[in-house]
Amino acid sequence: MVNSENTKAQMRKGVLELCILSILSQGDAYPTEIIEKLKETKLVVVEGTLYPLLTRLKNTGLLTYRWEESTSGPPRKYYMLTEIGTTYLKELHLSWYELVDAVNKTINKQD
Amino acid sequence: MNKTVTINISGIIFHIEEDAFDKLSKYLSTIKGYFSKADGGNEIMSDIEARIAEMLQSKTSAVKQVVLMSDVDFVMDSMGKPEEFAGDATENTTTTENTDNYTSTDDGEPIKKRLYRDGDSKVVGGVCSGIAAYFDVDVVWIRIAMALFTFAFGMSLWVYIILWIAIPEAKTTTERLAMKGEKADINNISKAVKEEAEHLRKRMEKYGSEFKDMASRNAPRNAVERTVDFIGDVLRNIGRVLLKVIGVFMVIIGVIFFLGLSSSVFGLSFMTNSSNGGEWIDLLLLDGRDFYLGVLGIAMFVGVPVIMLIYGGVKILFKIKYSNRWVNLSAGIVWLFGFLMLLYVGIKTLSDFNKTAKVRENFSVIQKDTLYLKMHETPINSLELHESDDDEEGEKNYRRHSRGDNDYMIGSNNGTKYLLGHAQLNVIKSQTGKIEIVIVKEAKGGNKSSASERAKNISYVISQTDSLIEFDNLFKVNNADKFRVQDLMIIVKLPVGKAIYLDKSLENMIYDLENVTNTYDGDMINRRWIMTENGLKCIDCEGLISVGDHINGLDEEVDPNDESKGNVKISVNGVDINAKDAHIQVDSNGVNINSVESKMTIDEHGVHVKTKNKTKL
Repeated sequence: MVNSENTKAQMRKGVLELCILSILSQGDAYPTEIIEKLKETKLVVVEGTLYPLLTRLKNTGLLTYRWEESTSGPPRKYYMLTEIGTTYLKELHLSWYELVDAVNKTINKQD
Repeated sequence: MNKTVTINISGIIFHIEEDAFDKLSKYLSTIKGYFSKADGGNEIMSDIEARIAEMLQSKTSAVKQVVLMSDVDFVMDSMGKPEEFAGDATENTTTTENTDNYTSTDDGEPIKKRLYRDGDSKVVGGVCSGIAAYFDVDVVWIRIAMALFTFAFGMSLWVYIILWIAIPEAKTTTERLAMKGEKADINNISKAVKEEAEHLRKRMEKYGSEFKDMASRNAPRNAVERTVDFIGDVLRNIGRVLLKVIGVFMVIIGVIFFLGLSSSVFGLSFMTNSSNGGEWIDLLLLDGRDFYLGVLGIAMFVGVPVIMLIYGGVKILFKIKYSNRWVNLSAGIVWLFGFLMLLYVGIKTLSDFNKTAKVRENFSVIQKDTLYLKMHETPINSLELHESDDDEEGEKNYRRHSRGDNDYMIGSNNGTKYLLGHAQLNVIKSQTGKIEIVIVKEAKGGNKSSASERAKNISYVISQTDSLIEFDNLFKVNNADKFRVQDLMIIVKLPVGKAIYLDKSLENMIYDLENVTNTYDGDMINRRWIMTENGLKCIDCEGLISVGDHINGLDEEVDPNDESKGNVKISVNGVDINAKDAHIQVDSNGVNINSVESKMTIDEHGVHVKTKNKTKL
């Protein structure tokens, strides 16, 4: 049996990186904020997915973070884009539009 | 009313209900299991914990202070199941590896199979089910094999314990997948081999083209670097193979040693007849407790390094990187304990050799003019006798001559063991005018009294029938008395004028028997000896020459027992004539003529003639 859920999850996962970088390009944020924004658009189903991704992006040098004290809870890790991250995001943006274009064209032809 | 636990997540304190706590901690440890091998696993973990703390904080307030089960469920729901997001972590590690080391792994590559313990379907420790999963056989067969090998010195029991320690349990899903892995059938193996070959080919091509590129670009430094890299790669592969070989050898050697050790230890502790060494240890050590202590000490002192050898080998073979420092520590402690036990037993046993005592016992002799001394073969069942050498005949002779430590044997009678030692016979001059036989028993012990007690316990048999005295060749020591260099000497005290006949059988019982003519022990047997003021003197050795004047050619064998015939002997000493009823001797002392009726002597004092009617000429 073909599981469409799995394909959907894979698709979401693929664009998640782009989305996170985009959110951070609008301003620094800590994970909870990022999650809330992603949840609004139903891009993230489970929060757990975010943390390994953030760490990976940070480790590859696209992101960096700073600690900020919080009034209500533990100190927050505010993530921000690095210079490499900004250029990387621009490239991703471009290829995303190309991709959307290409995919749309393909799908429409099928119809 | 519910019990609560106080926990600290990310520096925030929470009161949490006990069952909720159990669930949460299990959840966290599962996540931890997933990320423990990923890059920045700790960081991911602390990020997740911080988020959980935040979520729980939003769920508690001044009114509702305690975290409930439902709150934990909420956290788990929004965070997601570990297996839903763990994929990222494992993917990450493979992608980073890919960029670093030119290894291109297909996405569809199955997880490499590794040996884990299967905690889900375990009976004891999940070792059997883990092995079954690794070799892809039904666990039942492994279990049956294990059960069967238990009868072989309990071998599988030890192996099981070693494996239990050496093999980690499959805790996370990734580990469980790695445990099951892909089925190891022929197809897969050939596929793997092909892939490996293809991989190698590609790599070589790559290196080849790189070499060409470099050559054309004339970049020697880079080329050198590449070559170094390549050689390093080759060496690494060789090293890996070598390591496997070493691992195999370690396991094989370990198992061989282990079998030897366990069979001897089990042999010892069950007191079977099979091992000679065990009986000696039993005879040396003080009592049952010391015996077991000694055996245990040996088992620990030798066994621990052997087990560690197998352990190390297994770890190398199955690429188990996880190491438990408690295992090493406890192995060291056990080994030390074994050493101390051996030391204790050794010192205690040695102290039991401290003092020597001699006990004298008299055998009452029926007085005779001539005593016939003979050896009596101590009745021992030769089948039950343990010789330390197969060459029985040579060994026996050797033993009787040399009175070293090898002079002992172990015999058994109806399951009771005893030590057998060779008795020694000596003949000296009696001061009392009576024939006396003294048995001198000797043994060692921790103090004088225990040593003499031990000496008394030596059992030895002498019997007299008329003028024949028979001496047992062996003395017996009960197993309970242990081996404490027991020794036994029979001293026959012979007054001047009394005679003994040494039977041929005594050859090995006498040692360096003093006599006036310095005759060797071997020549003393089969002859009559009379005690004179100066010592033993041969009565019927006339046909023989004393040792010092031995000359070939003149040494004609004479049967001294055969007195019916006359014979003539000429040697450097003079002339010796044995007639039927007379004996004529001519030597440096003069002329000596003996007959049944009379005696005539010619020497520096003149001529003496003695006859039965006492006429003197």
